[in-house]
Amino acid sequence: MPAVTTTHDIDVVIEKRNGGGTGNLPPVRGHGGGGDDGKNQPRRRPSPNRYYTGMAIGIVSVLMFFMALASAFLVRKGGADWVPVRIPTLLWFNTVVLLASSVTLEAARKRLTSGDAGGFRRFWLVTSVLGVAFLLGQLLAWRVLVSQGVYLSSNPASSFFYIFTGAHAVHLLGGVGALIFVAVRNFDAAKVSLTVAADVTAYFWHFLDALWIFLLLILYLAK
Amino acid sequence: MVTYDEGKTVPGPAGRGFLTRVFSTDHKTIGLLYLWLSLASVFVGMVLSALLRAHTSWPDTAIPFLAGFESTPERYAAIRLLHGSLMVFFVLTAAPQLGFGNFLLPLQIGAQEMAFPNLNRLSFWLTFASLAGMTASFFRPLTTGIDLWLASAALFSFAALLSALNFTVTTIELRAKGMTLPRMPVTVWAWFVNAILSLLIFSVLLAGCTAVLSDRLFGSQFFSASHFLAQQPQNLVRQGSLPVLWQRLFWYFAQAEVYVAMLPCFGIITHLVATFARKPVWKERLVVLAFCGVGLSGFCVWGYHMFATGMNPYAPLVFAVLASSLGIPAAVLLASWLSTLWDAKIAFNTAVLFAIGFISLFIAGGLSGIFLARHDLAHAAFSEDFVIGHFHLVMGVAATFAILAALFFWFPKLFGSCMNEILGKIHFWATFAGVYCIFMPMHWLGLLTQSSLLPEAQRVAVASASASIRTLVTVATIWTVAAQSLFIANFFLTLLRARKQEENNPWRASTLEWSTACPVPAENFGLELPTVYRGAYELVEASPGEFAPQHLSPELLDSAPKTR
Repeated sequence: MPAVTTTHDIDVVIEKRNGGGTGNLPPVRGHGGGGDDGKNQPRRRPSPNRYYTGMAIGIVSVLMFFMALASAFLVRKGGADWVPVRIPTLLWFNTVVLLASSVTLEAARKRLTSGDAGGFRRFWLVTSVLGVAFLLGQLLAWRVLVSQGVYLSSNPASSFFYIFTGAHAVHLLGGVGALIFVAVRNFDAAKVSLTVAADVTAYFWHFLDALWIFLLLILYLAK
Repeated sequence: MVTYDEGKTVPGPAGRGFLTRVFSTDHKTIGLLYLWLSLASVFVGMVLSALLRAHTSWPDTAIPFLAGFESTPERYAAIRLLHGSLMVFFVLTAAPQLGFGNFLLPLQIGAQEMAFPNLNRLSFWLTFASLAGMTASFFRPLTTGIDLWLASAALFSFAALLSALNFTVTTIELRAKGMTLPRMPVTVWAWFVNAILSLLIFSVLLAGCTAVLSDRLFGSQFFSASHFLAQQPQNLVRQGSLPVLWQRLFWYFAQAEVYVAMLPCFGIITHLVATFARKPVWKERLVVLAFCGVGLSGFCVWGYHMFATGMNPYAPLVFAVLASSLGIPAAVLLASWLSTLWDAKIAFNTAVLFAIGFISLFIAGGLSGIFLARHDLAHAAFSEDFVIGHFHLVMGVAATFAILAALFFWFPKLFGSCMNEILGKIHFWATFAGVYCIFMPMHWLGLLTQSSLLPEAQRVAVASASASIRTLVTVATIWTVAAQSLFIANFFLTLLRARKQEENNPWRASTLEWSTACPVPAENFGLELPTVYRGAYELVEASPGEFAPQHLSPELLDSAPKTR
């Protein structure tokens, strides 16, 4: 993964730049530099590659979970007891919100690589807010369906609608958790650097975004 | 200095509290915890199997301590389920992959830790919770029992996913300098391929559990009962739906589990056979490819089972082809083991005996598997006894033999000294004879059930013969269970008498874990991680039959031709 090494290098550059305490990011090397004999050396971080690989493999595994459900969905769709669910209009609005969150997330990462810590924080916050907004929107969509009398137990199609949106929301909740974690975590003492954490979170977020489009598509096409 | 020092000092083995030791993130501790978990499960599971056999042979005998249980078909099914769950999840899946894998994978690739130690600890305790849940479900009434069991299975799948993630990333990212992929020991390959397989199938399993659980708890209609039962063969449905659903759910999990349980065993056996034959693995690359083949076909068979909720008309054929295609990698592995053993000067210690026992069981069980993989033949051979005999030989007992072989082999690394050889050999022969006396007659019983086509007089004769065969099976079961007391005695006596092994490498093996002390020190390799100079099964040219340790530089190897 060549991209990994470049980001890691950039990370090191950022750490050096902010070392003097001028940036908005907290100084990475708080106490004075290399005077003492190696005791206060910057902590040696394990190679960040494991986090990228871990996230890539984790994504494959999450994907398999949804593919299993999706294949069950496609097979079950032929059954006689299938009554298609009318997708609430609100879902299209939610989709736009989620797509926008991916854009702001990329904007935040761009600010991070260019060393604009304030801009990074702002866009990161916007992304988190959009993520929460999407989750609330999904909840509202469920309420709309319930008001129409479509429940989890109504028929196989509604069961699948709820489990797709529900399982996706659970994963997205994890994503929002990661966003907030990256925002509040003090990375001075962490095994991971801010850049790596932001990268890994972003991969997961974009994946969930694409996954949502896929789920929406098969729900829509199964009408 | 290539270390993964994270600032905190690694606590030494002495002076650690019990709690910090139990809740440790150290891969060795976690591996041992999995092994203890398996040891407890295997004994409960074995006692349950003896109970089942006793009930089949002497249904009217009251068994002490168990009078409190009402004896209903549901209770019998519940005992079977508990036996199966304990053995399949917590012995066959947990011991070879999670137990030995956690302990040995970082050592064999020259790493200090797993990639995500905290995640590793979490997956162990989730597995533990799942064990507690499955055991508790046995004591619940049937309906809540199934729910609890399903939730525990989901928990186990989740824990297995986390472990698989950890194994995969560790193998990819944490290999020591010089440990290229072709240089990895076959055990590492097996754990790695198995982790990838687990990663794929356990997420499917988790999805399945979620859907079934949601059906049962919230009334969703993924596998609605009417839809589901309509797809089942009529003779099964008529027996009453609930036990059938239990049975079906068990199968839903079991097929994939076969591959997950067997793959690491293949790795262990290949490794042991080469080490004790003092020859390189025959066609090592092909063996690794065979592992991948097993993984691939295991995954595809599993994919079939996702559809096997009874919906796809083409599935039986696909299944038959895939299940038969498993024969190719299996044949490759067999050829490799036998060729490695061919003309080798083998020291027949207990570990080798169990390894060869594994090969014997694998052949015996594999042959009967051919009947079952062909769906047209399976119809003729299909009967409960035949299937039980088949999969116990090839999966249950064979994998247990691999676990025992691994335990005898790595015992000095795990606990510091070797187990007693004489006790070990007696234990081996008693068990070997016992398991064949249990499971071979079961095949006959299975075929005898086809005798309903015979004329009346012969049928009576067959029926009386099958009664005596059943008794033989039961007696052999009790014999085999009793023989395990030899193992327990050997195990605990060795632990009690454990003195530090003077030798780091009693088997003169080549892989990295033997370059450390016995038992392995807390920090594995010390400050400097090892560098790897050669493949895992290369011999010293000067002295034939002597493996060149992977970590010795060529200069050191030359200066010390006697590597003992």
